[in-house]
Amino acid sequence: MDMNEIREIFFQECEEQLAELETGLLALNDGDTDPETVNAVFRAVHSIKGGAGAFALDDLVAFAHVFETTLDKVRSGQLEPTHDVLKVMLKSADVLADLTNAARHGDQIDQDRSASLVADLEALARGEGVSSGEKPAEAEPEFTPVPVMLDEPQSADFAPVPFSFDDFDDEDTAAASGFVVTFRPRAELYGKGNDAYLLLRDVAKLGAAKIACDSSDLPDLAQMDPEGAYLSWTIEVTGLADEAPIQRVFEFAEWDCDLTIVPSGDVSAVQPAEEIVLMAPIETPAPVKAPTPVITPAKPAASVEDSGMVPVPFDLSAFDNLTVADTIAPQPVAAPVAATTAASAPVAPVISIAEAAAKRGVDPDAADRRQGGDRRAAETVAPTIRVDLDRVDRLINLVGELVINQAMLAQSVNESAAGTSAINMGLEELQQLTREIQDSVMAIRAQPVKPVFQRMSRIVREIADMTGKSVRLVTEGENTEVDKTVIDKLAEPLTHMIRNAVDHGLETPEKRLAAGKPEEGTLRLAAKHRSGRIVIEIADDGAGINRERVRKKAIENGLISADANLSDEEIDNLIFHAGFSTADKISDISGRGVGMDVVKRSIQQLGGRISIVSKPGEGSVFTMSLPLTLAVLDGMVVSVANQTLVVPLTAIVETLQPEASKIHRFGAEQRLISIRDTFCPLVDVGRVLSFRREQADPVHGVAVLVETEGGGQRALMVDAIQGQRQVVIKSLEANYDHVPGIAAATILGDGRVALILDVDAVVAGSRGDQARPELSLAAVG
Amino acid sequence: MMDDAQIVELPTVLDLNAAAPLRDRLLARRGTPLALDASRVERIGGQCLQVLLAARNAWQCDGAGFSIDRPSDGFLNALRQMGFAGDLTPATETTR
Repeated sequence: MDMNEIREIFFQECEEQLAELETGLLALNDGDTDPETVNAVFRAVHSIKGGAGAFALDDLVAFAHVFETTLDKVRSGQLEPTHDVLKVMLKSADVLADLTNAARHGDQIDQDRSASLVADLEALARGEGVSSGEKPAEAEPEFTPVPVMLDEPQSADFAPVPFSFDDFDDEDTAAASGFVVTFRPRAELYGKGNDAYLLLRDVAKLGAAKIACDSSDLPDLAQMDPEGAYLSWTIEVTGLADEAPIQRVFEFAEWDCDLTIVPSGDVSAVQPAEEIVLMAPIETPAPVKAPTPVITPAKPAASVEDSGMVPVPFDLSAFDNLTVADTIAPQPVAAPVAATTAASAPVAPVISIAEAAAKRGVDPDAADRRQGGDRRAAETVAPTIRVDLDRVDRLINLVGELVINQAMLAQSVNESAAGTSAINMGLEELQQLTREIQDSVMAIRAQPVKPVFQRMSRIVREIADMTGKSVRLVTEGENTEVDKTVIDKLAEPLTHMIRNAVDHGLETPEKRLAAGKPEEGTLRLAAKHRSGRIVIEIADDGAGINRERVRKKAIENGLISADANLSDEEIDNLIFHAGFSTADKISDISGRGVGMDVVKRSIQQLGGRISIVSKPGEGSVFTMSLPLTLAVLDGMVVSVANQTLVVPLTAIVETLQPEASKIHRFGAEQRLISIRDTFCPLVDVGRVLSFRREQADPVHGVAVLVETEGGGQRALMVDAIQGQRQVVIKSLEANYDHVPGIAAATILGDGRVALILDVDAVVAGSRGDQARPELSLAAVG
Repeated sequence: MMDDAQIVELPTVLDLNAAAPLRDRLLARRGTPLALDASRVERIGGQCLQVLLAARNAWQCDGAGFSIDRPSDGFLNALRQMGFAGDLTPATETTR
């Protein structure tokens, strides 16, 4: 595996971590108080940072570091995750994603945005800008007690503490090459066989290190828990350009200690109070000398620290097979680019710890995720492998050919009349197998819509910010699976619709309050499976479509005549008309009124449909219905005017042979068929598709009753039904662009091409109604 | 070294497992001057350091003598790594 592959794996894992990060932040935003959620969020950022460090992606590391520092405050309970705090964090997650993409693809990033978020995050970490006002005591820069330490005779006694004031003064000049590490082990760290001593020793190996211990939290000997943890250390490492080696030292201990690593020039961020306290070992009252007054300011916020400890679940039994001596040196040498690490501890124990933990289903350490797919596989209950999408597509294509070939073979056998029962049985089994192979292969491509939905939450945040609206995005059915191609193509129309919903659908906070609604608008994004398709709904609780305005606009634009009598539904659907925009001024957000017609077209290209239901004052619901896969389709093969067509089975309700008595004329052109006491319009497919000029006689054909997107039923008139079969979809778009009334094509068993009907488009086209513009528009365009 | 002090020999390994026994041993001698013999110490970890520091504080509060004598190289090194000299106290008799 070469470096590029490792790098690619890192980026793939970044995607997962970013998704985890966002999920966690959103959960916190929704009031989740589980410490494990905070931990997961922290781990995600930390893993990205660690990996980025290994690849020297400095921008990414720098940002992730600041982000992580602030998250750590949340983790340790020093920063309350209020909505304001989470807002900054969610934006930071967006920037982190941008930076990751920038590192991966060389995209440009918005430096200003990143810089301003760094400032926001740092402010939060310092305890500023938190609306709850819960400011940790130790965030106060209390440098006052320090001068005592300058006491000359004492410093001679205090030889072991190589921390002098000169160091503070020189910080600015040393900034480029040093880091200040604050390290407070928790009892768990010792409990797992690790020791502060070993970690300190390894840090000291990295460069010139000045180590100072703070023992101010040390209780009385009689009261102390000998296996507790009361000491903390500050280590100033110089001669180090990059903090990654330090991180690697603490890699396996970081969940069991409070750790900050900051460039030494940036020392103000490291809780100055502790810097002072670190002189504590010196300060203890000596019998010979008068106790120095340093003790007094020693522990400003010990209780905050204590209460802030978040228990991290860890299965200690994972270590059962290891001796203490084995576990005692978990220096993270096994990082992907181990060559760069300065730590010299043995590799084997590190791996065995992780593996022992992994075998028990314990997440050994987030850091391990960097180590590649094989390690990941061991970690989860259901192992996964990463496969190049091209390979899957090739397989799918081949299976498609296999399906066609199997159909052709079956047909040949039938036609040659050579079929013995054994041959026919074999063919049937082959068909069964082909079907199973196909389903399994399709399942490989099926992916949850979650990543796209998560992208939408970012869009919502950004648009809400730009428009000054307050929006809450609720997602449902994120785990609904659909073909990867559909997912990939879904993002764009979905983005547009979400933007539209926030920009046009939801009212401003003032208007909402005036209308007696909560200030915060709600946008619901839901996915579900319904009769072999995926249905995606985007619902807002805004003002609904202003039909008066839509109608006026449509008349102005000459889309409808001034006296047109349109139903509410028809007016609502006008917004999908090309060039239609109700926004009085063109905004950056929703574009120039090319929005919804483009959305509609791209969804149609996916073989999908879109509809809208709107209630004035209550909001609008956009419903998209898409095929689960773009590769195969169950269809009814029919003939119309000597052409073979395929009607998607999902649309068909029933088929019937019309009797002359059941056919009724309605107006000059329209005919209705009466089915069980209801009248259903007849749609002559041959005429709609211009296969013939004259209307066919329904009595000589077959009526295929279909359900349309709007919920109504129509009877499609076809000449005959040939049969029902699964067909492999071959797109027409690539060669012919969008063909009105036709969704795609397929190859039949006899090798002929058959067109797959776009039922809704055909139904809409049959009305010859301008308010139902698909066919006329597409024909014009 | 204090003449009247009880001499307590520190064990070779002062790790997690040694912390509780060490504390108990030292507590049992509370009130009497103490001289800890660190000559055999090969390893000392953070938790035993805590015990020693707490003991030093306690003895100083009591005004009783407390010293660490004949520190081994291992002991000195480990303490240095943890930000301390071989003596936890400012005792003058400790040599380096």
